[in-house]
Parts: sequence; structure tokens; C-alpha cells
Amino acid sequence: MRFIRNLFESQKKHFSKDGPLAWLAPLFNATETFFFLPGLVTKQRPHVRDSLDLKRFMSMVLVALVPPLLFGIYNTGYQASQAAGLSTAWLPVVLRGVEVVLPLIIVSYGVGFFWELLFASIRGHEISEGFLVTGLLFPLILPPTTPLWQAAIGISFGVVIGKEIFGGTGRNVFNPALTGRAFLFFAYPAQMSGDQVWVANLAAHGTDVVTGATPLAVSALSQAGKSMATVLNDAGFSFMRMFWGHLPGSVGGTSAFCCLLGAVFLIVVGVASYRIMLGGVIGVLATGGLLNLFAGPGAHPWYGLNPFYHLVMGGFAFGIVYMATDPVSAPGMQKSRWVYGFLIGMLTVLIRVFNPAYPEGVMMAILFMNLFAPLLDHVEIQLRLRQRIPNV
Amino acid sequence: MHTIHIKKGLRLNMAGTPAMETKTRKDLERLVVSAEPIPHIKTRLQVGEGDRVALGSVLFTDKRNPDIRFLSPGGGLVETIEYGPRRAIRRIVVKLDETEAEETFPALKTGESPEILGRDELVKRLTTGGVWPYIRSLPFRDFADPKTPPPAVVVLMDCLDLFHAPPEIYLNEREAVFETGLQALSTLAPVVSVVISAPAFAAIPDAIQQAVTHKVAGAYPADDPGVFVYKTRTAAEANTSWYIHGADVVLLGQFLTDGRFPTDRVVAVSSPDVKAHFHTRIGAPVSALVPNIEALENHRIIAGGVFRGHGVGPGAGVNYYDTAVTVLPEGNADEFFGFLRPGFRKPSQWRTFLSALNAGPFEMDTGLHGEERACINCGTCATVCPVDILPQFTMKSLVADEIEEALSHGLLDCVECGLCSYVCPSKVDLCEQLRHGRQRFYKEQAAS
Repeated sequence: MRFIRNLFESQKKHFSKDGPLAWLAPLFNATETFFFLPGLVTKQRPHVRDSLDLKRFMSMVLVALVPPLLFGIYNTGYQASQAAGLSTAWLPVVLRGVEVVLPLIIVSYGVGFFWELLFASIRGHEISEGFLVTGLLFPLILPPTTPLWQAAIGISFGVVIGKEIFGGTGRNVFNPALTGRAFLFFAYPAQMSGDQVWVANLAAHGTDVVTGATPLAVSALSQAGKSMATVLNDAGFSFMRMFWGHLPGSVGGTSAFCCLLGAVFLIVVGVASYRIMLGGVIGVLATGGLLNLFAGPGAHPWYGLNPFYHLVMGGFAFGIVYMATDPVSAPGMQKSRWVYGFLIGMLTVLIRVFNPAYPEGVMMAILFMNLFAPLLDHVEIQLRLRQRIPNV
Repeated sequence: MHTIHIKKGLRLNMAGTPAMETKTRKDLERLVVSAEPIPHIKTRLQVGEGDRVALGSVLFTDKRNPDIRFLSPGGGLVETIEYGPRRAIRRIVVKLDETEAEETFPALKTGESPEILGRDELVKRLTTGGVWPYIRSLPFRDFADPKTPPPAVVVLMDCLDLFHAPPEIYLNEREAVFETGLQALSTLAPVVSVVISAPAFAAIPDAIQQAVTHKVAGAYPADDPGVFVYKTRTAAEANTSWYIHGADVVLLGQFLTDGRFPTDRVVAVSSPDVKAHFHTRIGAPVSALVPNIEALENHRIIAGGVFRGHGVGPGAGVNYYDTAVTVLPEGNADEFFGFLRPGFRKPSQWRTFLSALNAGPFEMDTGLHGEERACINCGTCATVCPVDILPQFTMKSLVADEIEEALSHGLLDCVECGLCSYVCPSKVDLCEQLRHGRQRFYKEQAAS
């Protein structure tokens, strides 16, 4: 510890205002404050402060991302190994998963960090901890076959257009990770959708393109007259399998169970809003239930799907737990958060059911509601101010 | 009697509660007072270095209203006058004489009630006697303006900011003068509300219990006049209520009873070595209450509590409004992997530390425990604000110079309790932003 302290002290001069590396000062400060929580003190009243800072706040989200990340690595390796006809023993599967996922994470953090540093240097800001979360969320919502160059472009778009041009963390309208994901979805549809992207292609092991349909893709193809749950079951996607997430899909978003673990943790430590999460779940169930009323012969099979299936299919669980609860792009008012979550759930189901072009709805639903978050806040504030006895 | 429930606020279990015993510390050589921390005042100094003053001589007045006078808490020689930034009077040091000269003021005869004086005579006595400034008016907390009668006077018996003397201690043996003070207040305003926290109510004498009009149940800052007015008002008129603290009502009554400038104070002291209540006088140097205060390295001396107090040097004294001295260690040491520690002993409103399982009390310091970042709109500040302002949105409208919007959010209801700043994980000093906005608005209003 003494040694690290001395190392920072001895190198500090290079990054000072007149030093040769002054433009890298944000990088130096970010590294230093990672090791040493700086001993800054209050300047005036209140003289004491809460112990929580943004580093710890964001670290809590990273901790909550550990279950989907670890399971994602395993599952990616497993699906790829199975498709390639390789051994599905525990260790080789994990190693293959690491082989696929780790480069994506490194590219996401590396490229994104470059942009963060660039903007921080030019603005003379510190690097914000919010990026730690964005940089990990982004690879987890990509298909495992995403070429690394696309991952690099995606995170660049997410960080620069989704966040920095608005002024950086705290001022962004959209969730940066989802913005990057949406960009890739529309710019490179061939690599982002269809049946051939959801299982990593272990080309090195001598296999061809691997097809692996996701439950949502299976559902989108289902025909009238056949219950969707049956179609899914026939394809091997039982409710419980989708809940555990042992199936093809994006790197970290397949397991509703892991997301549930993360959700419980986030709610217990109080970092993410339970209102948004519960609102989302209620929104899905209510909309799904409503559509059930219109189910019947001749109607689209989606209508008849048990609404609980929506919760475990696709990326809804991951989206509502980790993406929708991003405090910056969500509303700040408590009641608005319920509405925001509810509408995300509702839109997710509506997009899935009524828009065959997008088998997954949660990404668009969250981005759409990001846009409306300030309006929700505004309406709630105005309603609240009406009850207030003015003091001017 | 009504009970007001205040749900928001902060119950901070901080270590260092002063013991309930009261020590006496009146053998002083020098007294130190200051004009710097008195809000809004534009000082006109009335003495110079080398002048002789009596107890009750005028030291400085307010240029905006020369009737507002601050008197010398002791008789002797004005030894030094020190200035702070912008020539604010930081320290007036009076070296006390062996036998102090005294100014005398008219006093009430035995058994006489202040009500017989009538409003004008009473105002005159209180202003010349230097005790008028203890009555202040909402929402800007400036001295009450004698010319505009208020809708009500609120008497706050507690100070829940850590740490202040509870009413039972400062009322001890002064019940009679306290009641005289209350009678004077009822001459000044049509309504006098006496507000006390539920635990303190049980400990005060029956006679005073009779005078209490409202009990409040809630955490800091449930003791604040702004919170009381916010919770009880039915019309906008109440916003300009006057208020006074219970310990200052004692001074008012004392002055009217014996015609001397009252200087007796009970001061709560919480420092690493001394945790006690002191019976002392206004102007007592903090070094007389906390021995070796100069030797306490890397500590902050706060006149007042940790939320509302202001930092002072070791040469400061117990100023006119002060009833507490807190000494906190400066939290300026770097912490290795600070953000990854389990944090069983780190006080926090959040459950991200193991301290969520620890009821305390917690040792606290002046550390920010992090670096300032942009607001992430987590909304925690709004969950503690006792007057239901939305500090994060109000702060943003102030930064954007939308003063009208900030006012409609309730900027003037802000009681400057500091809780929004306390809980902010981005370490944004919301309270300072709101305070600055309020002051700017007040200056604009005063200028027009």
C-alpha cells in the first residue's frame, strides 16, 4: 500500500498542470482514486456526509451483474460447444465461453474508455464511474457472434452519441449501452438478428455457421391455430428452461433467474428502483393478460400466450433490471417510476406481438420510454406543485 | 395540544453525545464575539481597539436598521478587532476587568408582566437591550422587522442538530424567566406556538408543559421553524412568521426581569476529550470549554452542530446565537480501496455498506467520502427533504437561472437543513446551491 502510494506521489508531477502529460490527468486521477478514496473534506455546512459515493454506487451494479456475466460465459460456451458437437464438460465449455465473451468485454471497455478519456481530457472533467456499468452492460446484450469491430463501433456510438454529446454522465437522455445496441441493430441487421447469430461460431474447431433460434424467433414464426406455448415446447423451450436461461441468445441476457438474483441484490442495497422493476413486471402481465382476452381461433397465437412467458422470454428480465433502472435516463420522481416501468412492460409486449419485424421489444421499449422520462417527471412535478401552498 | 408527525428527515446516530451533567465555566479573562456568522447583517462597528466597554455597551449595529444592536457581553478593554474577507468583523476580543462596568436598562417590577408595557415600549426595550435580534423572521431568517407585525411567533424548544442542550437542561432553574419571555412574545404577535419534540416534552417541568402548543414527532430537522410552518400553514400568510429558540426566550425573559444584558448560556460541547454541557456566558472562548484546543491537530472546530454550524478558528468565542461547540476530526486521509471496503462502521443512509446492520453510534469526520460528480437523478435528496422540495430539480432550475421555477418548487420553504447535501452520492452540495439561490433572491427583493 505504501509502495502504491509512493508510486502515485512520484508520478503525479508529470500529470500536473504544467507537466508533459497534463492532458492525461483524468486518466491518472481515475487510476489514483480507484486505489485511494481521496480524503476530500466538506467546505461548509453540512460538515458531515454520507459514506456512499458514486464509485461504490456503480460498483454495486457491477456486483449485481456478476450472475448474468458468469452464467453468460458458461452458456455461450455451452451453446457453441453443443452446436459444434464438442464436449460439453464443464471446464472446456467455460474456456470456450471466455474465448468468445472476454474479447467482447475488452473491446467494449477499451474503446469506450478511449472516448471517455478523450472527452474528459478536452472538457477537463474527471472520468465518471457510470462508464464502468455501460462498458459491461453493452457486451452482455450483444449476440455472441458479434464481430469485434462492430462491438467497437457500437460502444463508440453509445458513448459518444448516446452520452457525451449531451454533456456526459448525468445529462444523457438515453441509456448509452442500449443506444449502442440499437445502432448496431439498425446498421448491421444481418449480424444482429435472424437465426444465425445467437450461438457463437467456433470456426476454429471446424464447424460451419450455426443456427440456433431463440424462443422469440420461434414464436414469431408460429402459425395461427396452434398454441404458442406448444410451439415453444415443441422447439424445446419450456417455461423453466427459459427461466433458467440455458438456451441460445445474447451473451448475458438469457437467464431470467440470474437477473432475478441481480434484482434482489440491487433492491436490497437500494441502488436500483424497485418501482421501475415491479412496474415493468406489472406492465407485462397486465398487457399480456389483456391480449389473452382477444385470444381465440383465428387470432394470432401471440394473443393467447400466458403473460408470464413474456417475463422469461428474450431480454425483458435483463432490460428491466439493469437497463430501465439506470437512474440518469429514468424519471426521478417516485410515481413516474411506476408509470415508466409499467409502460416499458406494456410496450415490450406490444412490440413483440404487433411488430413481427422486431422479435425483441424491450430494447425499443426502454429507449422509447427514456425519451418520455422527462415528460413523466414534469407532469408529476406539476401535479405535486398544485397541492403546495405557495411561498413567494 | 397537537402532535405533528414529520416522516422525512434523518436520524443520525453519531458518537459523541454530551453528558447530561452541567459544568460551570465563568472564570474567564477574555470574551470573543463575531459579526461574521450573523446572516444578512451589514455591520457598522461602534467601538475601536483600545476603547473601554461596559457589559451592555454597543459593539456593532446593522446599517440597514440602526435599531438592531449587538451589545458587549462583558466589561473591559477592547483588545483586538480582527477582520475576515470583505471586512466582515471576525473577532472582537474584550479583555475583562476585575469588576466589570455594566449598562443598566429599565426592568420589570416584581410580579409585573411584560404585557403591561404595550407593544411599542416592549419593542423599544428589547432593541435597546440587544436581545431583539434573537427574534427572526421566515423565510429568509433575517432579524424580525418590528414595524410589520407577524402572523405568529414560533418558539422552538429543541435543537436536534447534533449536539445541542435539550430543554430540560437550559430551562433548569429558569422556568420563571422563560415564562416572562413567552408573555413578551404574546404581546408582539397574535399567536405564539410553542413547539417541542415528543421526547423532550416528557422531561420539562409541568408549568412549561402547559405552555406547549405543539408536539413534533420526527427526526432532524423536525425542530425547525420552517418545517413547523410548512406542516401547519393553511394560507400563504404564515410564511412570514417570526421564530425564536427556547434558549433565547430565556434570554429575553432574563433581560426584561433584571434589566441587564443577559449573557448566561448553556453550551453543549462535543469534542474528542470533552463531552459535556457548560454553564457559561456569551463570548466565552472555545479554548475555555475545550482545553488544549490549539493542540488538536487536524480537527475542525464547529460553532453549532454538524449540519448547521460553521467552522471557526481556535480563537473564536461562543457567539450570540451559539449554543453548541462541536470538534470533528478532519476526514482528509486517503483510504486504500475505500470504495470496496465492507464498511461496518461507515454511517450511511444506504444499504450498500454493512453498516446497514450496525445501529451505531458512529464516529464521524468531515470527509466527503468521495468526489463530486454530476447529479444522476437518483432522487434520494427528495426522500429526506422535510418540506417536500425536490432538491435535484430545484437545483437544476437554479443552475439554469430559472428562478421562477425554483420558487414554485418551494425554494423559500427550504430550511437549509443540509440533508440533501448529506445524502447525495454524487456529493453535489445541493444545500449550498439552494441557499445561494435564496440569498440572491432576497438581495434582489431588498433592492427593489
